[in-house]
Amino acid sequence: MPLVIFVDDSETALASTRMVTDSMPIEVKQYLSAVDALNEIQGGMVPDLIITDMNMPVMNGFEFLQGLRKVPGTARTPVLMLTTETRDELKAQGKALGLTGWVVKPFNPAQLKQAISRVLRLA
Amino acid sequence: MQFLQTLNGLLEHVKTVERETISLTKEAQLRMVRFLDKNGLSVDDETLEAMQYQDIIAQQLSATIEAIESAQEHMQYFIHAFSQDDAIASQSIEKMQGKLTVALERAKERHRAFSGKVHREDDEDGIEFF
Repeated sequence: MPLVIFVDDSETALASTRMVTDSMPIEVKQYLSAVDALNEIQGGMVPDLIITDMNMPVMNGFEFLQGLRKVPGTARTPVLMLTTETRDELKAQGKALGLTGWVVKPFNPAQLKQAISRVLRLA
Repeated sequence: MQFLQTLNGLLEHVKTVERETISLTKEAQLRMVRFLDKNGLSVDDETLEAMQYQDIIAQQLSATIEAIESAQEHMQYFIHAFSQDDAIASQSIEKMQGKLTVALERAKERHRAFSGKVHREDDEDGIEFF
């Protein structure tokens, strides 16, 4: 099964995404810190899709994305930003950094499922 | 300067209440999730969307706490200057006014930034692929 990792400093946000992905044919790992997620990726974990929050302490979503692109295993891995941020300039910055897409919270569960399926090309 | 000290105390109180609100809403949400998990229950999409409001509430309140802390910092500069010299205090109050205005603008910007889709009716699904 494809591995999808979620990174968000909010426990409740992670709980919400877990409720969406529970019924999907994917393996899910969740992290409250981008630093922890990046450490595991640098240690060899190769996710098929990464979904991350933008505003997090210590390492924000863009810093995380830049870190991911330096690791050979995730240099081209699709990354979706899941955030309350709606500013166009941030979206443009994310696009320039190689972001795959932008999902605004609160997300619609059915549409998040569709987005994950689309990126992973699930049947 | 007693007035500013009292105002500072009031702001401290507001921060305390905001932190407690963040904590309580988080706990309420997590207990609900644990209950659902324990009983093998699921919620519909509309409910799950609403369950995400806690995250938005927490971000909004955290941003106002930051704005208050910024205002408090500028107030402390002024209180210190006032106790040193009247002339410096006069300059300092003008600077404080300017900095508080910037802090207010930043707080409003963060309010908009952290609202997500909650106040937007022009964004149908909030998902955009690049």
